[in-house]
Amino acid sequence: MIEAKEVNKFFGDHHVLKNISCTFEKGKTNLIIGQSGSGKTVLMKCLVGLYEVDSGMISYDGRNFSEMNFEQRKNLRQEIGMLFQGSALFDYMTVEENVMFPLNMFSKQTKQEKLNRVNFVLERVNLDNINHMKPSELSGGMRKRVAIARAISMKPEYLFCDEPNSGLDPQTSGVIDQLIKEITVEYGIITIVNTHDMNSVLSIGDNVAFIYNGELWWRGNKETILHTSNKELNEFVFGTELTSRLKQ
Amino acid sequence: MDLKVISLTGDYVMLMRRVFTKPQKGRIFWQRLLDEIQGLGIESIGIVAFISAFMGAVVAIQTAYNIDNPFIPLTMVGWTTRQSIILEFSPTIISLILAGKVGSRIASEIGTMRVTEQIDALEIMGVNSANYLIFPKVVALLLINPVLIVLSMWMGILGGWMAMGATGLSTTTDYVTGIRIDFQVYIVFYALLKTLFFAFIIATISGFYGYKTNGGALEVGQASTKAVVLSSILIIVFNLILTQLLLT
Repeated sequence: MIEAKEVNKFFGDHHVLKNISCTFEKGKTNLIIGQSGSGKTVLMKCLVGLYEVDSGMISYDGRNFSEMNFEQRKNLRQEIGMLFQGSALFDYMTVEENVMFPLNMFSKQTKQEKLNRVNFVLERVNLDNINHMKPSELSGGMRKRVAIARAISMKPEYLFCDEPNSGLDPQTSGVIDQLIKEITVEYGIITIVNTHDMNSVLSIGDNVAFIYNGELWWRGNKETILHTSNKELNEFVFGTELTSRLKQ
Repeated sequence: MDLKVISLTGDYVMLMRRVFTKPQKGRIFWQRLLDEIQGLGIESIGIVAFISAFMGAVVAIQTAYNIDNPFIPLTMVGWTTRQSIILEFSPTIISLILAGKVGSRIASEIGTMRVTEQIDALEIMGVNSANYLIFPKVVALLLINPVLIVLSMWMGILGGWMAMGATGLSTTTDYVTGIRIDFQVYIVFYALLKTLFFAFIIATISGFYGYKTNGGALEVGQASTKAVVLSSILIIVFNLILTQLLLT
C-alpha cells in the first residue's frame, strides 16, 4: 500500500497541496482525478519524489519514503515504473534500447536474457517488429505502449501513469486503459493513474480520488462517482456536453 | 543581483557534486563517452580545421604586408604566425567557437530532455541523471579538446604557409625557418593547459544551464544562449588569469 499522510506542498506563496491524506491499494487501479491545475500532477510527483513535500509523510508498504536518503530512494525507485504524459522515451535510442535501458542499468542478466525480457514486454503491450525503430517514427499510442513496456521491464511493484491518454483518440485511449488495468491485475501491483478523462474513470477506476483546489475533495469508485451529490465533482464529471446529456 | 549570482553559484556547485560521482554502470559510461567524443569532438574537426587554416593564412598575410622595414627578416612572418596561433588563436578563439557550437548543443540537448520529462524518467528509474548526462560530456571534452586545439595549431600554421606560397609574400624556406626560431615547448603546454580549463568551463556551464531548464521550447533556447554567453565570458576571464599565472 502507498500512503500519503497530511501532505502539504507550496510553490512560493501558493499552497498547491493542502493536507492530503489517502491510500492506494495493491492490485487495483487507483485514479487521481481533477481539473487542470488542481494539483493532481504535483501530488503524483510528490509521491514519486520528483518534488519534495513541505510537510507530511509518504510511505511505500510501510517504508517511510519522505525520510529516505538519496541511496535508499535510488533502491526503492527500482521498484517503481512510471508512464509520463509525453511518454518521455529517450529520443536517441531505439525502442529496444529504451525498453532495455533499466535492465542495462540495474540487472545482471545476460544480453540474451535482457533481449528476451524486452521482447516479452513489447509483446505484452501488443507491439511486434518495432525493436529497431526510433520513438520519432512511432504514433502517439505506440509511444505510450513502449513507455508502458519500459515501465514494466523491471517488474515493478508500483506503477505510476501521468495522464496516459493525453493526446490520444478515444479508441486508442481505451486500449491503453485496458492495458494498464490488465497489467495491474496480472502483476498484482499498485497502480496510480493521474487523469481527467472520464472514460478512463468509468472503465478502470477501482478507486477514485478527486482533487479540488489542492484538497482531497472526494473518494469513491467508478460506480459511486455517477451517483454522488458532491457539487464540485458533479460539475467535473458532467461538465461536458456528452456527459451532461448522458446524465439527462 | 549579488544574491542571484550567489544562488546560481550554489546551484552550480550542488549540481557538480552530483555530476562528479562514480558512474553507476562502467560499461554504459564508456559507451556514452565514445558517443560524446564522436558528437562533441569528431564532428567539430571540420569547422576547427577550416577556421584555423583561414585564420593562419590571414595572420601570415597581414604580418607580411606590415613588414616594410628591410631590416626585419621575412622569417618573422612564420615566427609571428606560430606565436599568434599557438599562444592565443588556437586555445582561446577556437575554444570560444567551440563554446558556441558544442556549448549550445549540450545545453539544448539536456534542456530538451528536461522539458520532455526524459530527465524525470531517469530519476524515477533510480539513475543519477546529472552524472549520467553531464559527466561523459565533461570527460569527452577534456579528452578531445586538446586534440582539436593541436589540430587547429597545425592547420593554422599550414594555412599561413599555403597563403605565403599562393601570394609569394614569403618563401617556404623563410616561413619554415621562422616557425622554428626560438621555439619553446612550454608555450604548447601553456596553450593545452588553458584548453583543459576552457573545456571544463564549456561542458559544465552548458550542462548546468541545460539541466536547470524549466518550461518549454522558448526556455531551451534561452538556456542555450545563457550557456554560450557565460561560457564565453568565463573563457575570456580565465584566459587573462591563466596567462598572468603561467607566462609571468
